Amino acid sequence: MQGAVLMLACVLGQQGVPALEPPSRRAAVPTSIALERRLADRLGVVVGDTLDLGLDPGRLDGRAVVTAIYEPAADPSIITRRELYLRLHLPDLAALLGAPDQVDRFGVGVRPGVRPEEAARELNRVAFGYRAFPSAEIANESSQTFRVVSRFHQAIAIISVVASAVFLLCIMLLKVEERRRDAAVMRFTGISRLTIFTALLLEALLVAALGSVLGVLLALGASAVTNLYYQRFFDTTLVFSVVTGATLRFSVALSLGLGVVAGSLAAWRLVRTSPVMLWGRG
Amino acid sequence: MNGEVVHALRGVSLTVRQGDYAAIVGPSGCGKSTLLQLLGGIDTPSRGSVALGGIALHSLSDRALTRLRLTRLGFVFQRFHLLPVLTARENVELPMAEAGAGREERRARALELLDYVGLAARADHRATQLSGGEMQRVAIARALANRPALILADEPTGELDAATGRGILDLFRRLSHDGVTLLVVTHDERLAAEAGRVIHMLDGVVVGDTAR
Amino acid sequence: MNDWEEGSGKGEGKEDPPVLPASRFPLPWVTSRAFTPRNLLRHPVRTALALAGIMVTTAMLLDMVLLAGGIERSFEQLLLGRGYQLRISPKGTLPFDTEATIPRAGAIRDLIAADPEVAAVGPMLGGAVYARRGDSLTTLFGYGIDPAAQAIYQVESGADLDAADTTGLLLSEPAARLLGATIGDTVTLAGGLDPQMALAGVERRLVVRGMVRWLYDYRGQPSVGTLLPVMQSLAHARAEDRVSVFVVRVHRDQQAEAVTTRLRQQLPALEVNSVTDLVIRFRERLVYFRQLSYILGVISLGVTVLLVATLMTITVNERLGEIATLRAIGIARGTIVRGVMLEGALLTAIGGALGVGLGVITARFLDRILTSFPGLPAAISFFVPEPLSLLLAAVVLLLTGILAGAYPALVAARAPIAATLRTEAT
Repeated sequence: MQGAVLMLACVLGQQGVPALEPPSRRAAVPTSIALERRLADRLGVVVGDTLDLGLDPGRLDGRAVVTAIYEPAADPSIITRRELYLRLHLPDLAALLGAPDQVDRFGVGVRPGVRPEEAARELNRVAFGYRAFPSAEIANESSQTFRVVSRFHQAIAIISVVASAVFLLCIMLLKVEERRRDAAVMRFTGISRLTIFTALLLEALLVAALGSVLGVLLALGASAVTNLYYQRFFDTTLVFSVVTGATLRFSVALSLGLGVVAGSLAAWRLVRTSPVMLWGRG
Repeated sequence: MNGEVVHALRGVSLTVRQGDYAAIVGPSGCGKSTLLQLLGGIDTPSRGSVALGGIALHSLSDRALTRLRLTRLGFVFQRFHLLPVLTARENVELPMAEAGAGREERRARALELLDYVGLAARADHRATQLSGGEMQRVAIARALANRPALILADEPTGELDAATGRGILDLFRRLSHDGVTLLVVTHDERLAAEAGRVIHMLDGVVVGDTAR
Repeated sequence: MNDWEEGSGKGEGKEDPPVLPASRFPLPWVTSRAFTPRNLLRHPVRTALALAGIMVTTAMLLDMVLLAGGIERSFEQLLLGRGYQLRISPKGTLPFDTEATIPRAGAIRDLIAADPEVAAVGPMLGGAVYARRGDSLTTLFGYGIDPAAQAIYQVESGADLDAADTTGLLLSEPAARLLGATIGDTVTLAGGLDPQMALAGVERRLVVRGMVRWLYDYRGQPSVGTLLPVMQSLAHARAEDRVSVFVVRVHRDQQAEAVTTRLRQQLPALEVNSVTDLVIRFRERLVYFRQLSYILGVISLGVTVLLVATLMTITVNERLGEIATLRAIGIARGTIVRGVMLEGALLTAIGGALGVGLGVITARFLDRILTSFPGLPAAISFFVPEPLSLLLAAVVLLLTGILAGAYPALVAARAPIAATLRTEAT
């Protein structure tokens, strides 16, 4: 409970708080609070239980009744912080903080037809000691973290694609070169270069297609395992990995494309070599 | 083969003495190469035994058999089977390195052997840069590297033209004259004619064994 | 030519027969070594592609090894950079994590300093301050410090603040640019803003003494520093003598944990953390990157194994005839297997060496992405080398390359010689 109370103080941003009321002036009617589910589990409380609240672990003057337990919207920006939240009515919190006319921010709704950017500009023109931001700007700023993570993932993806392409080319080359004698015999017996090339290309396409299918299944499985693991690890409903149709289409197209290109290059290399050289006599 | 039992050899009994120059002749598929491979310890008889210098090959471990091939036998194959990435000299040195010969010793011996087969000038050429006849000479030099008790040659002129084959013929004659024990499987009548002993085979059986 | 010995008796059982010439110690590594590098050049395109593949996977492996724990090492180096091993902050918070503050800082400072192992205690207050430029106010981040005991900045030019310099100001380079100020200029800082009255409750005119680098600032953060009492007055925290954090230096590093434990008992209402504790807390927040590095590192190794194993399998299959010939002329299985494994090892070693170079480049690129996290101190890096981890990764990679070729080599070396020669002849 101590930890929860101090977290309350920290999360809500204590600034220059005057001395708390002594115990004799404790509120007669307990305030009502809502706890997030993890906090309630940690404290072992249910709806109807009473808690002591305060800003100092040594002075828990306030009393509160748990009137609700809620599941917070999964917020990836705070998920690793392991912070726990509770909610009070604003006047109750203000009274607890001893700052009855102080808030951290206002949420402002503009009239229909009024653009938020214009409203913000107007407010900032006369502002002193505060600033107004359109919500979209806040959202943009606060999503910077995820943009960084997203760019990181993209960079890793690019490196993975490059590695896969090289690997694929190498393997295709090896597989096609294994068939050099077969190709030599076919050339000796009059089969055309185009026929051999097409046959090898079809093989490469088949391998790429099969590999793509297996890769998709692997990705779906890995995505499910990732979500299962991290949802348990962070005790959250946040979805960490999503395999969308667009992602699947892109991946399969890339995989097939790379497979065909690699197979084509390897096959072209084989068919342009003389059959005598292929046979190993040249 | 394909589920059927093929009797490559039937009731073959053969003794090769030191200094022999023997040719095994017969039509394709009569078991000549199989016999040679059994004598060389690279194949195992279904029944019977092979002994070299009194040592029963079947009694040896794979390790000991390999060692025996390295130090007591020399092989010459129809298709030469040189290592293409090595030079002529390095191919000849290979068995000596495996046997533990020092660097200078094996280098000197390799050059000596290449000179013996007439290829001293080609010592530092890669195997792929040599003609068929030259490759076979190098293969013969390799077979002689560890001073073997017996040289086994399987169709040594099979891949060579007549003129080049004659060169190999001359070399074998010289080896025999120098006391090397040779057992040669061949279709080449000229080679067979050079041998002091001709063993005729037919359908897996020795049907004739004539000494000249 | 023929100086071999006659046989004498039959050998019984599976043992070396006595008639063989006395063998010197075999030199199979000479045999193996002789052709390994040249075999790699037999198919230059194939080898080049394999090297490229190993290079990229090695680069990925290297980056993941650097990433695993990299930021923690960087963070630890940052925390210990000035020699202060402990941090004390409001209960349930990490230093400067929230706007919470600690009251009665003087008394707490005295209590901490009374510990015989404590060498120095530095209180700090941080928060928003405003610089007046004409009619407008520019928002800055202000640090109130004790110059004699601080772990938060390094002077780059000019002078540090004296212990009694209540009119002195330190600027970061971004703050100097923002204010258009330099050493010797006067800057007016305001605090206690009243939006209704449009007045600043406190204003102080301060002279820039020096330009400093604030160690925990993010890139471009405009920060200023004054003596602690000055900042307290600007933040209306003077009355309660409030600070954001204490930094504590102990005489001996080995005593840091013991002092942490003692202070925790003495100050139960505060959060007392050693640098080790802070690194652990930090690690929890960045657990994703550590786990990602492990997963991608394992995948990289797996791909390397696949690549080398496939290459060696096909290479060995192509050379079955050669291998059978070698066996026929008396080359031991072990020599052949060693030769193939050496080939795999050489491929991995060369590809790996190239991959190190590529990995350093990609690490810088990835680090630039990750260090652009908003609010992350500019001094932090995500990719920090740890020699032992790098060595371990190199050894594992090399072993991987060696073993990847082992199985196909063993299979080929055990193939029946005669049958293989026959098959290869057709």
